[in-house]
Amino acid sequence: MNSTRRQFLSAALVGLSPKTDRTVTGGFVDDGHQLGHLLRDRATFPRARQTIKIPVVIVGGGIAGLSAAWRLDRRGFHDFVLLEMLQQGGGNARSGQNEVSAYPWAAHYVPVPGKKAELVRELMEELGVLRNGVWEERYLCFSPQERLYLHGRWQEGIEPVTAATARDREDFTRFAARMNEFRATGQFTIPMELGAKPSPLDQLSIAEWLKQERFTSPYLRWYINYACRDDYGALANDTSAWAGIHYFASREPEEKGPLTWPEGNGWIARRLLEKLARYVRTGAMVHHIATDGKKLRVSAGETDYLAERIIFAAPSFLAPYVCESAPPIRNFVYSPWLTANLTLDRAPRERDVETAWDNVIYDSPALGYVVATHQSLRTYIDRTVWTFYWSLAQGTPAGNRRLLLEKDWSYWKEAILHDLERAHPDIRQCISHIDILRLGHAMARPVPGFLASEDRRRLAEPSGNLVFANSDLSGFSIFEEAQYRGVRAAERVLRTLQ
Amino acid sequence: MPILLFVSVTLIAACGLIYELVAGTLASYLLGDSVFQFSTVIGSYLFAMGVGSYLSRFVVRGLVAQFVSIELMVGVVGGFSSAALFLAFAYTQGFQLILYAIVIAIGILVGLEIPLLMRILKNRLEFRELVAHVLTFDYLGALAASLLFPILLVPKLGMVRSALLFGIINAGVALWSTYLFRDQLGARTFLRAACVAVLVALGAGMAGAERITQVADNNLYADEVIFARDTRYQRIVLTKWKDDVRLFLSSHLQFSSRDEYRYHEALVHPGLASLPGARCVLVLGGGDGLAVREILKYPDVESITLVDLDPDMTRLFSTHPYLVTINQHSLTNSRVHVINADAFVWLDHSNESYDFIVVDFPDPTNYSLGKLYTTAFYRLMAKHLSAQGLAVVQSTSPLFARQSYWCIVETLKQAGLKTYPYHLYVPSFGEWGFALAGLSQYEPPEHLPEHLRYLSVALVPQMFQFANDMLPVEAEPNRLNDQVLVRYYEHDWREITH
Repeated sequence: MNSTRRQFLSAALVGLSPKTDRTVTGGFVDDGHQLGHLLRDRATFPRARQTIKIPVVIVGGGIAGLSAAWRLDRRGFHDFVLLEMLQQGGGNARSGQNEVSAYPWAAHYVPVPGKKAELVRELMEELGVLRNGVWEERYLCFSPQERLYLHGRWQEGIEPVTAATARDREDFTRFAARMNEFRATGQFTIPMELGAKPSPLDQLSIAEWLKQERFTSPYLRWYINYACRDDYGALANDTSAWAGIHYFASREPEEKGPLTWPEGNGWIARRLLEKLARYVRTGAMVHHIATDGKKLRVSAGETDYLAERIIFAAPSFLAPYVCESAPPIRNFVYSPWLTANLTLDRAPRERDVETAWDNVIYDSPALGYVVATHQSLRTYIDRTVWTFYWSLAQGTPAGNRRLLLEKDWSYWKEAILHDLERAHPDIRQCISHIDILRLGHAMARPVPGFLASEDRRRLAEPSGNLVFANSDLSGFSIFEEAQYRGVRAAERVLRTLQ
Repeated sequence: MPILLFVSVTLIAACGLIYELVAGTLASYLLGDSVFQFSTVIGSYLFAMGVGSYLSRFVVRGLVAQFVSIELMVGVVGGFSSAALFLAFAYTQGFQLILYAIVIAIGILVGLEIPLLMRILKNRLEFRELVAHVLTFDYLGALAASLLFPILLVPKLGMVRSALLFGIINAGVALWSTYLFRDQLGARTFLRAACVAVLVALGAGMAGAERITQVADNNLYADEVIFARDTRYQRIVLTKWKDDVRLFLSSHLQFSSRDEYRYHEALVHPGLASLPGARCVLVLGGGDGLAVREILKYPDVESITLVDLDPDMTRLFSTHPYLVTINQHSLTNSRVHVINADAFVWLDHSNESYDFIVVDFPDPTNYSLGKLYTTAFYRLMAKHLSAQGLAVVQSTSPLFARQSYWCIVETLKQAGLKTYPYHLYVPSFGEWGFALAGLSQYEPPEHLPEHLRYLSVALVPQMFQFANDMLPVEAEPNRLNDQVLVRYYEHDWREITH
């Protein structure tokens, strides 16, 4: 009898053994690239078993496609379908969920829209985020919003201030003043199309522009490089100065934000998908679009749709692989990304400032991490999920795409842990699970000359019965542009159908 | 016959486990570090049982008489163990020595019980049956004890009485055995007399248990730190200096036993006494049960819901022999419902409304706690107030943290509530502030519960007067996305300490 008790007791005492690094489980959760590669490799697809006649087909269930559907539906037009390749809609706003929290897989916030951003405001009012002109507090990013790990300690905010010299501060002040001047020109708008004019700023990179303007502060240059990597997946050297300036000069926030949710923009995508469920067909990959008389034949899986208009809201680079009559698409550069969701069984030990929503490590090749539970109303949070963002900006996009495919999960896991370890020495005792999403063509990259690009402008200017709607027509992938392109395509279709 | 035998096996097994639990629990209460205390107590107890089992081979003659005397010894040592440990902690330096001496003594005696009993029974049953039955009932008894102990015994009887009760059971089994095994027993009279004597002694202990606890209490806390425990959420520390017991949560003072009546009377009565119709009261925070103690002075209040994050905190204040004297057993009152949950989330999911809400959270020292002082939280709180209802908010010091105090008042206003700020002097805290808030007009009460130590009807209106150095100052409201309060608070207290 004693021996059984003793066994029981020793089992209970196992928890007292000294702590070691945890075993980290996880893997790749890639969902899109296998399907995408079928198109690239011109695989043969089964013949259709049925043909459905329908006036309008939307290709792609990201924010652009969902916004097109939203606008059609709100205008009283219900005769359409939305075809999404993956099992889950949302595109770059898709999200995941585990037992700890919901979390984003890509886009994770929307800057608080100003008065002029009517479309975003209209949607936010519909979703209960904006009520009588007041933003719902629980959807605004909670304090503290951002922090930066610099010189061995965390500081509040992402603008580097730790050990900043008078020269650094002067550069930041002068830069802010320059951005105000640009803002005042009215050319840097969201949506970009409303204000954009041909500009010499599009002929050089933002890094070159900084040099021209004699901004020498390493902190400022890091900051701007970070902004380009974060929003465009590109280094400052590879980003058009016009786009770099647009990032800083396009917004006048009326409220401390941004708007965010545990699952990032997945919250918006989910709400839209709920509202538009009757139109959405998931797991329906469009593999061919061809003219058929006056109509267009859209082949998706075993169904053909005979449509009068198509809104092509999927990434534009896919068009040549799918559409017989697609216009040429040159000079479209896409940035490869890696996103990882890390499950933490406990928070790492902190010294300097509290964990923020967005946490950035200075001089890291990655972009840092966003805390999924930050928007929780709880006061005590132990287990959490961090979304680790890494835009592979160094090197060529093609080389990085190859790297993404070649290296196994352990390689990326180690790279991520190694990066975080600098700021969190005990991180290996905290993380229990890492899921990794590899995105070969995560977002359009506004390289110098993108604004002037004829292909981009031709595609953005709708004509005929195939209307393009992806945010890459704006040159960069942000929520407002995707929504605008989607809505505009919907209105164009409604106009020309009548 | 056999079933009666096995009942006594169950009883003595239960007794054995109870003494082990009493020792472990007392050691954790008095010394803290429950993992260490329980592990070492269980370990030495099981080891001693092994010693006892070994020693049983030396008992050769008069088995039943020996068994009865062992039962009596267990009854005496175990029954008085809890009282002895309390007194040892209060009067001696050698608490641990006595603790382990008692644990080992009981362990050896309990280790003797089962082998002897099996030998007594060996001729009555087949060996296979015997082992199976004795062990089955032994484990059953252990299960019963381990369930009874936390659910019934500790909350209802307390430590001292629980141990004594099981001592009585041991002695009862001894007395009963002299009848059960009378055919195997020679001189019975002496043994029975001994049994009765032990029963009388234990019964007397039971009657005098209150005095034993008091005597121990009066001398218990001679140390400066009398209790320290890390719970999942915080570090609970009790200190004592002469007759002043103080509770610290994560090193912030929560109350001093010398003047907490000032704080808690002022927190509860100005609001609640002005609401003669109040039936349902909600307390958020306040796991020490001291605000609840004041609310229980209103016989018309039918239900009090207390929501506190930390189950260890509410358990401690429901069971700790010293602490329940301070809160007068408020947390185990039948009108009180204790809920362990994160207040913001709990309120967000609740549909109840309350006539009076007491908000007694720790000061906004960080952004996590700061969430509980935001417009979002107060708007949610307002939704749970009945039409005439009032809330009172612990609002830090209007003197030492003047801007923080008025920031909380401003935040309540921004949430659409009428506010009635007031304050008082609490020696251990200094000048302290509260804010009453509601949807309707507030009038100071005309009656107060009897026997208050601080408040009088005439005093209440005076508390709403602020001296010049505490008058309102400009402050922004505290919002989830812009927690100015945490910065004000840090700034205010830094001014004081520098």
